[in-house]
Amino acid sequence: MRKILIVALLFVFATGLLLAETKFKMELWNRWTYKLIDGNVKTNEMSLARGYFRLEPKFSENISGRFNLDYFSQEEAIDGAGLKLKYAYLDFKNFIPVKDATLTVGLMKTYFGTIYEWEYPLIEKDPSDLYKFVSSTDYGLGVSGYFPKGYGTYALAVYNGEGYKKTGGAINKDLNYLANLRVTPIVGVTLGGSYMFQSKNDSEIEEDGEMIDNPAREEYNLIAGVGKFAYGPVSVLAQYLNKVKSKPNVDDYEDVTSTVISVMPLFKVNNKIDILGRYDMYDPNTDQDDDGYNIIIAGVNYHIMKDSKNAPKLFVQLNYEMKQYEASDHDDETQILAQLRWIFSETFK
Amino acid sequence: MNFKKLLTLSVLISLISLPLLAQSGKITIAGSTTVLPIAQATAEIFMDSHPEINISVRGGGSSVGIASIIAGTADIGDASRHISTKEIAQARENGINPYENIVANDGIAIILNKNNPINDLSLSQLQSIYTGKIQNWKELGGPSLPIVLISRDVSSGTFEVFNSIVLSGAKAAESALMLASNNAVATTVKDTPGAIGYAGLGYVTDAIKAIKVNGVMPAKQTIQSKEYPISRTLHMYTNGAPKGIVKTYIDFILSPEGQALVEEQGFISVD
Repeated sequence: MRKILIVALLFVFATGLLLAETKFKMELWNRWTYKLIDGNVKTNEMSLARGYFRLEPKFSENISGRFNLDYFSQEEAIDGAGLKLKYAYLDFKNFIPVKDATLTVGLMKTYFGTIYEWEYPLIEKDPSDLYKFVSSTDYGLGVSGYFPKGYGTYALAVYNGEGYKKTGGAINKDLNYLANLRVTPIVGVTLGGSYMFQSKNDSEIEEDGEMIDNPAREEYNLIAGVGKFAYGPVSVLAQYLNKVKSKPNVDDYEDVTSTVISVMPLFKVNNKIDILGRYDMYDPNTDQDDDGYNIIIAGVNYHIMKDSKNAPKLFVQLNYEMKQYEASDHDDETQILAQLRWIFSETFK
Repeated sequence: MNFKKLLTLSVLISLISLPLLAQSGKITIAGSTTVLPIAQATAEIFMDSHPEINISVRGGGSSVGIASIIAGTADIGDASRHISTKEIAQARENGINPYENIVANDGIAIILNKNNPINDLSLSQLQSIYTGKIQNWKELGGPSLPIVLISRDVSSGTFEVFNSIVLSGAKAAESALMLASNNAVATTVKDTPGAIGYAGLGYVTDAIKAIKVNGVMPAKQTIQSKEYPISRTLHMYTNGAPKGIVKTYIDFILSPEGQALVEEQGFISVD
């Protein structure tokens, strides 16, 4: 499915770009990272942490697409650089008879928690991404849309289940299923939740000519709860993530539950300066003690330039991040990150 | 007072003082180039009678006007189209309640070069012209002259309304020249034999020719009655129902004096 999708989408994009109105966009993140563990300098590095090359062709009013290459250049990467295909999907509006609904096919967003709308207000990743609950994009098919009068959004999707990074033997054949709901009943108060079911390995395998339960079968149930409050220049985003891993064909297997609680307040001082904070509590196994850690982040964004729609064009991010382990024998980590992000785009017809 | 209390107090003071800033005597308006002449003309007269209030007006297009309201960077976002469901959802999540103030009616006039003898086109003929199926005026009973398509750029509200009513979602021909303002469309049609374009009624002058659509001429009566098929309302969006000096200004636009200014700019008053 993956190879066929890639070839089909690349063909559509290549031919479509010659015919369609196309938006071209570049975004670059120049970063300095200074990391200390127990007072010792672990990292002191300048890098191109991330770059996006994006094409968004519009074939008609109802059909458009996105093709996105991610690249990065830092010391730890092989040959000092890396390249990933991040998005390659087509959106079909009005394809299904539901108002404001869009059918999406290809390497697309994962509509779980807040990962699909994460714009990196802080340098750190979205919680679902950071704690590896889900991959930010995956190959699949989905329907998403808006409730009337802007009361919320929804998404239903089926994914390959491996994200956009795994290849070759790492691919498993089970599909993932997702439902996402976000409602804003009162202006400035948003509540939402996501559910995702993942699985690996067949439920049954053949042994001596008979089908038997497969002890290697794994199932994952993931839940995200999202709450957002916004009033004037102040907003707070809170998120709860829960992942339960089970092995239904192993009688004495105890489910492993991982949880994350993340709270991120933001204060827009003015149109140039944002002040942000974040507090994450991560517990990889709720049945075990002293295996988790907390992350505390303080940050400031300084917008040098914005575009006519007030979207960032050129800005500096400065973050201080502290990672505190529950285990007393594990040293805390601190890092300072400074990042210059610059974005430019043009639409060609 | 410890640091925690000081911080709490500072945040409270910031929140309380925020609404007061809106009363500071300055109104910022951004958005649609179609609504721009209304905003400019009314702001000028309004400031004459309210010298303590300063109004700054800029264009950018309907999308910019609505984005400015969502981002809280303008008090009024001008738009010649309705706000979309997606934009309302974004605004509500950001604590913004977009409120639509209708300030005028408008018809999008189909304009031809003055020497073109065609006087009436149907919506389906217009769609065929703009999608490139009809490429010469002789196919419509006119002279043997290639049709030169003039359109507004895709970020304009005028384009969105035209696209919705005339093209019904179909893609405009690649040969269409996309221009950034109503004025540019009118000027290009005036100077180009065989040209067809569209612009707000306020931009129709004697130098170009507005034609009937489905047998109806764009005029005050046919636009107010919605008889003319390419009609629309023009909007000024605010965060919630207008308050304070923004309300005073919008009330002025909707007053008989303000609506007279709207008509002076070539638009149709709100009845």
